[in-house]
Amino acid sequence: MKKRGETTAEDILQTAKALRWEIGGNIHEKLVEAIYTDAARIADRTVTREGVRPRFDLDHSIDHLVTSRIWGFPILLLLFTLVFWITISGANVPSRIIASFLIDTIYPVLSDGAANIGLPWWLSGLLIDGMYLATAWVFSVMLPPMAIFFPLFTLLEDFGYLPRVAFNLDNIFKKCGAHGKQALSMMMGFGCNAAGVIATRIIDSPRERLIAIITNNFALCNGRWPTQILIATIFIGTLVPTHLAGLISALSVVSIALLGVLLTFIVSWFLSKTWLKGEVSTFSLELPPYRPPRILQTIYTSIIDRTIFVLWRAVIFALPAGAVIWLSTNIHVGGLSIAQHLINFLDPIGLLLGLNGVILLAYIVAIPANEIVIPTVLMLTVMVAGLQGVGAGAGVMFELESAIGTLDILNAGGWTLLTAVNLMLFSLIHNPCSTTIYTIYKETGSWKWTIVATLLPLGLGFTTIYLVAQIWRAVAFVL
Amino acid sequence: MTSEAHKSHSPVCDSCPVHHAANLLKLGVNMTDWDFVVALAGNPNTGKSTVFNALTGLRQHTGNWPGKTVTRAEGGFDYGGHRYKLVDLPGTYSLLATTMDEEIARNFILFGQPDVMVVVVDATRLERNLNLVLQVLEITDRVVICLNLMDEARRHGLQIDHRRLARDLGVPVVPTIARYGEGLDQLLQVIADIATGFSVSKPHRIQHLTPALQRAVSQLTAQIESHYPRLPNARWVALRLLDGDQRIAQAIQRGELSTLSSVTEDQPVIDRSQ
Amino acid sequence: MLDPLTSLLVAALLVTLGLSLFWPERGLLSRWQRARRVTDRVLTEDALKHIHNCEMTGDRPTIQSITGALQINPTKASELVNKMDAGNLVQFEKGTLHLTPTGRESALHILRAHRIWERYLADETGFAESEWHLQADYFEHYLSPAEVDALSDQLGHPTHDPHGDPIPTAEGELVDHQGTHLTAVDIDVPVRIVHIEDEPPAIYAQLVAEGLHIGMQVRVIEKSHQRFRFWADGDEHILAPILANNITVVPMLEEPEISPGMRLSSLKPGQKAKVLGYSPACRGAERRRLMDLGLLQGTVIKAEYTSPRGDPTAYRIREAVIALREEQANHIYIIRLEENVA
Repeated sequence: MKKRGETTAEDILQTAKALRWEIGGNIHEKLVEAIYTDAARIADRTVTREGVRPRFDLDHSIDHLVTSRIWGFPILLLLFTLVFWITISGANVPSRIIASFLIDTIYPVLSDGAANIGLPWWLSGLLIDGMYLATAWVFSVMLPPMAIFFPLFTLLEDFGYLPRVAFNLDNIFKKCGAHGKQALSMMMGFGCNAAGVIATRIIDSPRERLIAIITNNFALCNGRWPTQILIATIFIGTLVPTHLAGLISALSVVSIALLGVLLTFIVSWFLSKTWLKGEVSTFSLELPPYRPPRILQTIYTSIIDRTIFVLWRAVIFALPAGAVIWLSTNIHVGGLSIAQHLINFLDPIGLLLGLNGVILLAYIVAIPANEIVIPTVLMLTVMVAGLQGVGAGAGVMFELESAIGTLDILNAGGWTLLTAVNLMLFSLIHNPCSTTIYTIYKETGSWKWTIVATLLPLGLGFTTIYLVAQIWRAVAFVL
Repeated sequence: MTSEAHKSHSPVCDSCPVHHAANLLKLGVNMTDWDFVVALAGNPNTGKSTVFNALTGLRQHTGNWPGKTVTRAEGGFDYGGHRYKLVDLPGTYSLLATTMDEEIARNFILFGQPDVMVVVVDATRLERNLNLVLQVLEITDRVVICLNLMDEARRHGLQIDHRRLARDLGVPVVPTIARYGEGLDQLLQVIADIATGFSVSKPHRIQHLTPALQRAVSQLTAQIESHYPRLPNARWVALRLLDGDQRIAQAIQRGELSTLSSVTEDQPVIDRSQ
Repeated sequence: MLDPLTSLLVAALLVTLGLSLFWPERGLLSRWQRARRVTDRVLTEDALKHIHNCEMTGDRPTIQSITGALQINPTKASELVNKMDAGNLVQFEKGTLHLTPTGRESALHILRAHRIWERYLADETGFAESEWHLQADYFEHYLSPAEVDALSDQLGHPTHDPHGDPIPTAEGELVDHQGTHLTAVDIDVPVRIVHIEDEPPAIYAQLVAEGLHIGMQVRVIEKSHQRFRFWADGDEHILAPILANNITVVPMLEEPEISPGMRLSSLKPGQKAKVLGYSPACRGAERRRLMDLGLLQGTVIKAEYTSPRGDPTAYRIREAVIALREEQANHIYIIRLEENVA
């Protein structure tokens, strides 16, 4: 039975091959035509139209407004400014509350508890100072903005506005060899790059989807906004008179974000012209009818789906990072901690790049989550500069309430304006965090593209800050 | 087409389910705790995920976006003493395997052989949605049409004769408004009827092929049927082979089709999964 | 610490060096890779292809013509021919080269590999038209007959490459394409493009840039030694005769099914039209995708609105609103329907 089956199976394929020669090439077209002919017939028999169609007109009017030559872009700009403004201003207070709860209230309780039950110092250090604190930082910085941003974004999505954004912006993306829907994965990337990478699923053309995945990292994510804001406030804001400080520092952060958008376009263009040239490319964009969003359900589902999901992954990666930070500052080899050894090794490279060893080390240990860069930098700087009276000891991350206090620490660490500018640039242009790298691997299923997506921005970042540092010094030299 | 005749091939009991556990396991669906597997297909934007959520109680996000659910979502529900596993397939316009999503959906329907295929259809765009429905009907006859968004259709002044539609398609059609839970009880009942083999369909098959194509299809179908006498979708396999579908040609070479045909009809299914 | 000016200079040098090494196609690395590919085997196969080509066009293949076609020096060429003679691939008769049966077989295999690869690039990848030929020139030497057959299977056994050249069958049969050069066509006779010669690449690139492709309906309106003016699918083109000579056409037997002239891209918002068909330049995944969306011959389509920058445009296709880019809409032929007041 089986044997006969195999010969006949081959026969079937042979017949199919021969028949294909007879019919010619466009069987697909004939098949699709036949199916649609049937579909049209059945639909004709079963559907009857009657009366007026008022909602068609409503959809139509909204579409004409949001895609109009005059109002299309202003509405888009207004809505997204609104979304970001609500996110940033709304996240401030809850972020502080969560931080003060987790770090100022729970942390001492845990430390005391550990001491009371007689845990060895290294165990409580590793678990509480290292892992708990790192996770607490990630949690307090990440949760509030995401819990605000994602539901807002999802509401726009449910209403049906987002496809119109892709429609309005497609022309610009097309010029870079990308798809209009990349606008949306990019916006999502401003919330979280991992979520942005997942959002590229809406792009069904393979080439354009890869472009969107690889460039998503250039959207400045929530985890990096606080770094930008802090450094801009204490280094750039202080350059100008006090009444302009807020405005100037805000402007510098916005220009970093816009630089990210510009890089997205440039890198997209480069990729579509070189490595991704041969990938299949198609375009279609459905503009579905508007539907009134169900607000409560949307908030609930988007928190469950996106916020919790992304947060969970971040926490998974923050736990080992906390452990590594604590261990590296507390294990001593030849009289110096491992962190100190690494910093000494990295310092010359860091200085050449216009940064320093502490920042480079912070970025290496902060690969899991960009949120812990600043606390790690402060902790390491205090340790390296040997400052007394600030911070809480080796391996214990912290932040300061006052900007001036932070500035003092950083100045003691040898920071200059160049360090600050380059840190802002490097914070924008460097490898994606490990959550995002993992997500890229999951989404592309390819090590090759994961490596490209990781190393391309890193190389670009090093080149940029190196050039900035050299030009800066050359100008200073000449002046 | 009496239900009695059908019951002999699809026994109604928990210990001998209709589904094909081995094939499903290959597709990543574990059927250990379930009696039947129900798959959900449909165009993007038809409220497919809303139907999924309404049936399972799971809150999967339902975006107003084409191509939302790319990976399969799974959930489950109990009805009439049976446990059903519900698999949400990617939203696609077609099953002709142009995109990744289409291939995932197509492979699941063909090789996973779900006990019931629910195709969610947007009542306001019937013609466009029937494109997918007609393709599904070529692959399997265990289909229920969930005619969703009936409220929007009414608002647009559309009257849909769902009985006529059911007659033309040869499978049950249930009008629903999934957002507000309307019609879902009836949908569950029909799903159960098909899963347990209580009702049997005689689905519409694609007509209007060009004469040359029709001749080629008949010739190839005859050959396929003689080799796999119990294959329920020989004509569809023939069409795909003529279109040069590599996955189907592979399935023939590897003998995957014979496993599909042997467990499909007639033979009493004596718990192959154990 | 280095002096900043020096380090800036070092950086500039490094970047220049990196770019000149790794720049795609023109960088040293890819040049070196390309040079390495030119092995004796590749040269032999190219020579076989050249001789076969001469036989098809009726030219005389000689050592000189091989020297020219392969761009190698005469000594190397005669060495090559001697080797091919010894390998029983060619025969020398009165200065003219002839293919032996073995030689013909491998020439046809190379041709088949080349044309199937071009078909593959055209249908299944996103490479631009101007790159098909160059890439196929490379891959033809590395595909085994079995691989070519598998590829042919996958593509649905195409009979012609995207330039309209027939693909030899696996059994080594080659149907010569019929037709005449466009320059030989009389004024006002409707003809259809069946082939666009892809050699030399510079001329082919110009024809591609003109938007000419296989399947277009052409009517010549003016011929002279300087220029050649004709309609192709509703647009006027002017070419130098040397360019027009690389286009092969056949007379159109039946009345044109589609009367080209209107493309979907010319439909203004609010206007309705009926789809007549697709341009052959819309192919592969893109074509299948548009068809699956319900854009078929006879489908009624309405332009709804355009994006603020004028492109893409949203069309109502079978009750769904779908946006298409201008170049896609350009590939769809339509006939306008007058708006009847409902």
